Amino acid sequence: MYYFNKTKQLMSRWATLPLVIFCVVFCSSYPLRAVALNDSGQKTAAPDVIRTVVNYEVPDVGMVRQDGKKLVFGKELDDGRPVILNFVFVSCSAICPMLSHVFSKVETKLGKEGKKAHLISVSIDPESDTPAILTEYAKKFAAGSEWDFYTGTREASIAIQKAFNVYRGDKMNHTSVIFMRAAAGKPWLRLEGFISPDAVIGEYDNIMKQNNAD
Amino acid sequence: MPKAAFSSGTRRESSWLLSSRWLLCLGLASLALMASAEQPFTGSEEVELGKRIYMEGILPSGEPLIGKRLNAVDVEGASAACETCHRRSGMGSLEGNIVVTPIAGRFLFATEDNRPLALVDPRAAKNLTRAHAPYTEASLGKSLREGVNINGSPLSPLMPKYALSDVEIKAVTAYLRQLSAELSPGVGADTLHFATIVTPGVDPKQSEVMVKMIRSAFAQRNASQQTYSGRMRSPLDLIPRTLRNWELTVWELQGAPDTWGAQLVEKYSKEPVFAVISGLSTTTWAPVDAFCQQEKLPCLFPSVALPPAQTDFYSLYYSRGVALEADVLARHLRDQGKKAPHRLVQIYRDDEVGRGAANALTNALQGSDVKVENRVLHGQEPAGLKEALKGLSSKDAVMLWLRPADLSAVNKAAQKQPPAVVYLSGFLAEDNYDFVSKSWKSHVKVVYPYELGDKRQKNVATMNEWLKTWQLPLVNEAFQAEVFFNVLFLTDLSSQMLDNFYRDYMVERAEDMLGTGSNVSAYPHLSLAREQRFASKGAYIAHFAPDGKLVADSGWIVP
Repeated sequence: MYYFNKTKQLMSRWATLPLVIFCVVFCSSYPLRAVALNDSGQKTAAPDVIRTVVNYEVPDVGMVRQDGKKLVFGKELDDGRPVILNFVFVSCSAICPMLSHVFSKVETKLGKEGKKAHLISVSIDPESDTPAILTEYAKKFAAGSEWDFYTGTREASIAIQKAFNVYRGDKMNHTSVIFMRAAAGKPWLRLEGFISPDAVIGEYDNIMKQNNAD
Repeated sequence: MPKAAFSSGTRRESSWLLSSRWLLCLGLASLALMASAEQPFTGSEEVELGKRIYMEGILPSGEPLIGKRLNAVDVEGASAACETCHRRSGMGSLEGNIVVTPIAGRFLFATEDNRPLALVDPRAAKNLTRAHAPYTEASLGKSLREGVNINGSPLSPLMPKYALSDVEIKAVTAYLRQLSAELSPGVGADTLHFATIVTPGVDPKQSEVMVKMIRSAFAQRNASQQTYSGRMRSPLDLIPRTLRNWELTVWELQGAPDTWGAQLVEKYSKEPVFAVISGLSTTTWAPVDAFCQQEKLPCLFPSVALPPAQTDFYSLYYSRGVALEADVLARHLRDQGKKAPHRLVQIYRDDEVGRGAANALTNALQGSDVKVENRVLHGQEPAGLKEALKGLSSKDAVMLWLRPADLSAVNKAAQKQPPAVVYLSGFLAEDNYDFVSKSWKSHVKVVYPYELGDKRQKNVATMNEWLKTWQLPLVNEAFQAEVFFNVLFLTDLSSQMLDNFYRDYMVERAEDMLGTGSNVSAYPHLSLAREQRFASKGAYIAHFAPDGKLVADSGWIVP
């Protein structure tokens, strides 16, 4: 009580006004500063992601899906759904877990927002990544019905990697890349780098909008 | 009292809150709380807790470690564990364009001797070593929580942010300080010690040539290191490191397999080695595998027909041996559908390898339309084989899990009407098919785990030249190529490790680099990865062409 009264005495009406103004400005700038401190909660692909649009020719090689079904890979991409695609291997410990976690979140979000897409992961270590192993891997990332994993012979996997220009000689040389395509016949969007799930959805929305506009 | 404290105007008011008795109680209470909240752990307890966080992603509370990436993706438990990317040795790794930095104590914190540390990877564009200001426990905590390095710059998007408590940071720091702090056993001041292992009952010609090959390769390497003409042979030479001579000890085991473990422990205690390279066994290898795991000793690619089905971190194998062949044959027969034989008779010796192969094939064919019948081969004369081959029809197939000594009796034991198909084991037959008579040739197929044709010739050409140079005999091409690849790969691996002779690091480099090494083995393709321990994963089903050479029926089968 004593100190409150003392303060009131000390402050003149003129001193209060600048103080009030300062408080208002300080408080209202808080949201901006918070974002700057909290780093990138990116809504679109961050500037260090390299975006290119390319027409890749997907080979019609035989592959095997995680459920054991033998199929022709090129045809898997042409069932009418937009495709979001990446390359992984199960024993990979740095890049692939991140890519798969992102795919997992993307699948969930797309489902929630009623958006259709076929998520495809191709193994670049196919001799180790048998359909049984891929099924386990899919479970680990809670893959739903929209997300499939493909394996096969070394030759077939390498052919697909070369078609998408991701083959770097050895599986340990692979980088983080995501591809997407709105429909068969459309070019592929290639995203190199680390992209958040929200950014992936943002890119998806863009290509779907463009596709509908065409 | 309260009323009096809040009466205005008097200067004598004293807050009850500030009374000395209350302050005293408050002080004692907070001390008690502090004491119970953060119990100090002993040094070794801290290291253990830190190890659990590092290796398994489990916090001292038992809760899973949680990391956040891209502010959107959570990883938890084992997926969040440091070991996943920074590896067991703490030396990090290189994946694509991502350098996972070393975080072993010597690389992270200030060291007493301040010796310059160097780390290279031939796949990286530049030398991996980046000098940085030494971390402290506090700055490490800041890095882990805020995702920034010692200079305040953001860490890679791959590196999660961890909301760790002070106790947890303390534990991680304690673990990292001692991680890869000492060079592994078997690393001397100017010598690097290796051993190879020979088990009883092997062909002396094979064990002799194996040891000669390794000794010759070591001598070649030691000599090339000494002749330092001053001319740079590779960029690696620019990096200062200790030059060491390589020495090989041969551990020859005697007697029953259940005594091998104790023998190995005794030999190892006399002279610890950095790693075991190659090795030879025609029976079991399990006691050696167990010894390697127990001593945390890398055991690189022995030549064995049947390694243990499950193995842990320290043993690396070329393949699963006859168990792999069994799986390949089963897959081949299942794929034949209606054309598959009604009955498959497998003939094998009652030893570890024979039983292991037969069990594997029986299991692999479970639930198929092929009925499996086991026949054990007794005795040495053709009579034994004749007995085993009795009563076979043209609807039957036979699998001979036999070595050349037994296979040579097939001619004498053979019936006039060979069974529809006779399968041989590529591993056990040792490329010795002289016994196959004209009438049998078209009925024989080999489950063949090596490369065939021109590719095979190309792969082993280097070894054949090298053997000529060193005047060493060619006893068995596929087997010797295993030894040759091993030594060549070991040399590359070690030169890239510079002075960082940590066993775990060697195994991790082998995991990452095996596929990129030049393939001078008889296998089509060798590759490993974290948590993979069998480098070649398939086989061909092959038949004899008119010129007597083996030709693949179709593609490489990965079961």
